[in-house]
Amino acid sequence: MKSISTKRVLGAAIALTLVAAACGSDDDSGSESTSETTDSGATEDTSAATEDTSDSSEDTSDSSDTATGEGIKLGIMAECEGAFGAFNEDTVAGATLALVEGAGATTNSTDTALDGFSGASVAGVDIELVGIGCGDDTADRAIQEIRTLVEQDGANVVIGPLSGDEGIAIANYALDHPEVTFINGISGAQDATLHVQAPNFFRFNGDGAQWNAGTGLTVHDVAGWDTVAVIADDYGFGWTSAAGFVADFCAAGGEVVTQVFPPLGTTDYSSFVQQLPDPDEVDGYFWVVGGTGTNASLEAFVNAKGDLTGDQHAGNLFFSPALAQALGPDIAGAYVGGFASLPGDISTPEIEAYFASADATWDSLAAGAAGGEVGPASVATGFGFGYGYYAAGTALVQALEAVDGDLSNDQEALRAALSSIELDLPYGPVTLDENRQAIVDTFVAQLVLDEESGEVVSQTISIVPEVDQTFGGTYSSETDPPERDNTPCEEKELPWQGNLIPVVDGVPQR
Amino acid sequence: MKINSRTTTVIVIGIALLVLPLVGSDFFIDFVMTRTLMLGLAASSVVFLSAYGGMNSLAQWLVFGVAGFTVGNIVAESGRGMKLGWEPWVAVPIALVVATLLALVLGALSARSSGIYFLMLTLVYAVIGFYFFGQVTTFSGFGGMTGIDAPEFFQGEPKRIYYAAALLSAVVYVAFRGIARTPFGMALQGVRDDPVRMASLGFNVQMHRTLAFALAGFVAGLAGILNIWWNGQIDPTSIAIGPTLDLFIIAVIGGIMHLEGAWLGAFVFVSASIYTRDIPGIGRIGGVLEDRIFAEERFNTIIGLILLTIMLVSPDGLAGLASRFRSGKSSAADGAAAETAAPSPSTTDSSQQQQTIPGGQL
Repeated sequence: MKSISTKRVLGAAIALTLVAAACGSDDDSGSESTSETTDSGATEDTSAATEDTSDSSEDTSDSSDTATGEGIKLGIMAECEGAFGAFNEDTVAGATLALVEGAGATTNSTDTALDGFSGASVAGVDIELVGIGCGDDTADRAIQEIRTLVEQDGANVVIGPLSGDEGIAIANYALDHPEVTFINGISGAQDATLHVQAPNFFRFNGDGAQWNAGTGLTVHDVAGWDTVAVIADDYGFGWTSAAGFVADFCAAGGEVVTQVFPPLGTTDYSSFVQQLPDPDEVDGYFWVVGGTGTNASLEAFVNAKGDLTGDQHAGNLFFSPALAQALGPDIAGAYVGGFASLPGDISTPEIEAYFASADATWDSLAAGAAGGEVGPASVATGFGFGYGYYAAGTALVQALEAVDGDLSNDQEALRAALSSIELDLPYGPVTLDENRQAIVDTFVAQLVLDEESGEVVSQTISIVPEVDQTFGGTYSSETDPPERDNTPCEEKELPWQGNLIPVVDGVPQR
Repeated sequence: MKINSRTTTVIVIGIALLVLPLVGSDFFIDFVMTRTLMLGLAASSVVFLSAYGGMNSLAQWLVFGVAGFTVGNIVAESGRGMKLGWEPWVAVPIALVVATLLALVLGALSARSSGIYFLMLTLVYAVIGFYFFGQVTTFSGFGGMTGIDAPEFFQGEPKRIYYAAALLSAVVYVAFRGIARTPFGMALQGVRDDPVRMASLGFNVQMHRTLAFALAGFVAGLAGILNIWWNGQIDPTSIAIGPTLDLFIIAVIGGIMHLEGAWLGAFVFVSASIYTRDIPGIGRIGGVLEDRIFAEERFNTIIGLILLTIMLVSPDGLAGLASRFRSGKSSAADGAAAETAAPSPSTTDSSQQQQTIPGGQL
């Protein structure tokens, strides 16, 4: 009797399954998710792109490929949970702004970028937003989300992701999906381009190591450090960041005496700080501790080793003036490695135009860069996360223009254009190397006490030009990726040694 | 009559699973059904231990993950871990042996405890596993491993992985039920119901528990291998507490005392995770700031509500609900007395449930 019941339950399950299967087949159209973004239909409002539209009509006809007929189905792989979840708005806004500027897109809302856009078109090719992925900085989730974007929503171009391990996972996914073009958002693990080398994965931002180029040289040559202790988060981006600093510092002749790697998400850093040498035993400390750990680890340092002496410390992009709120002005003097966008003390007409463009697009955004506070849109797009996505969107627009919207042969021409394009961006031009990895200008900054306001602010001290991913041959596709026990240290000549461009009062002395 | 009904059901299930790829979309097959079958397979090991052995284990997801990490270390050619770069098929027996041995050891360590202590002990294993693979970069590190290739036979062939998952699910379902009827299975259920009496009858209680745990570990390992072929990626967060609890939630949604509930629960869980984002209001990924809390936690909120509803309506899960519905209907039709009825919704005494459900189903 009961065995019959079991079978009936199973039978019911199968019936349910079949019903759902029928529903599932509807998903092929890929038009359901973020439906509010897909109501573009007509593209009359492509005022900026009218000239492109007119001269591309013959182009659309000769590339009869189905891909051309569909246009660009864009997926944005953003971040809505985890350590960087607050930057969801920033990243989507960055990519959207590029399409507003270059593709005549109109945003669907003036106070959030997450409602998507409509009417984007470049060279006669419509760009439709099919979905926004919700990452949580783990590779596991990133793969789930990217599969949803590509396999359910039908995206044929993806912009993203944000975080290091996600980037490696998605670059590997790209290898198995040659029909889709991936343009990295702002993820910065070295492996994603140097080792995975997917031909359809492009990264127009530096990796964690590149961003720290020049920092080691500066603390060695300017601050006079000969020895350093490194404390870094124990994961891909932490290792890559530490490896960049170490390569740079050792190239100048410095020596690393200790390296400590606390697990990501540690709350009590006291035992790790105890493993560091005392301030009188070492010239300086380099910190790569992100998120909530930055404050916590420095506070543990103060408790264990005494007050901070600002210029005895350096950090990667996680060091910001906001640290002074908890640590006081003692942090002033610390050196800070670079990131995608430049600190606020540097202003050029291009940067001002970029800010103005963002502020004209949205009345306000809840930017992660402003700690989730609702404020001007330029705050969201001015920080590195949003800017990385903006660079990716701009690359897509410029490459589409360069090939007149030709998407035939699995976007072959588009990819060739992406590989060879020289992007003209507000914070400086970017080109790609043979692994489709950006060669970037980065910078070194210092936290200083502004005597007028009494606040700690970030001041750029030099620009490091044309930093490539290999660090003058220290890294290659043959070398192992940076790891806890793999941060190569050797004295050598780096391409940017002696070429650092000093910045005086926010003006680069080129 | 009984045989006819069983044959009919087997044929229906077989045909349904076989033709599903022809009916459903690729996405539905690859994303919903393959995942359902894989998670169901893993959850069936939780249900087996709980329903037949009286052991509520949170370590099954760890074993599932260890099988995946083993495959990753053996197969991957670059990135992190051991990077042995061996043939994917070679990894299968090794991963199964590792998973089963691990389960054997963990089972032996925890066989003397029961109830909440057993649950906590297995939770500890799961946490240790997470930190082990996070800290020991020889095997992974927090970044995990990506680009793990499935055997060539399965590469770019999602339907083949689906059929493999379906086949293994069928085999495991039949095998678990078959094992329950063997002397070992009967003794295991005796151990579940009254370990003291079984020990006094001369049965080795700990040995039975340990072997059952190893057997469940083998099945979790199978699911883990399928998952790594399907996903191509694994990292410590894949086996963190969140997914560990998810597997248990799947088993509870389906009905932890019903083997078929494992797949039923997995289907509900996977469907909720995929389709809730299409529901207006909930599906607005990210959302504006004011409703971001709801949007961010949308999946956990939904799955929590589903769990709550099911627990209120039917303490023994969807499978229990279905069987209660069936027995209620048939007893009304037959005018039979109440002795065939399943436990009432208000019944919370687990020993009473155990006596009325799994044993009787055999």
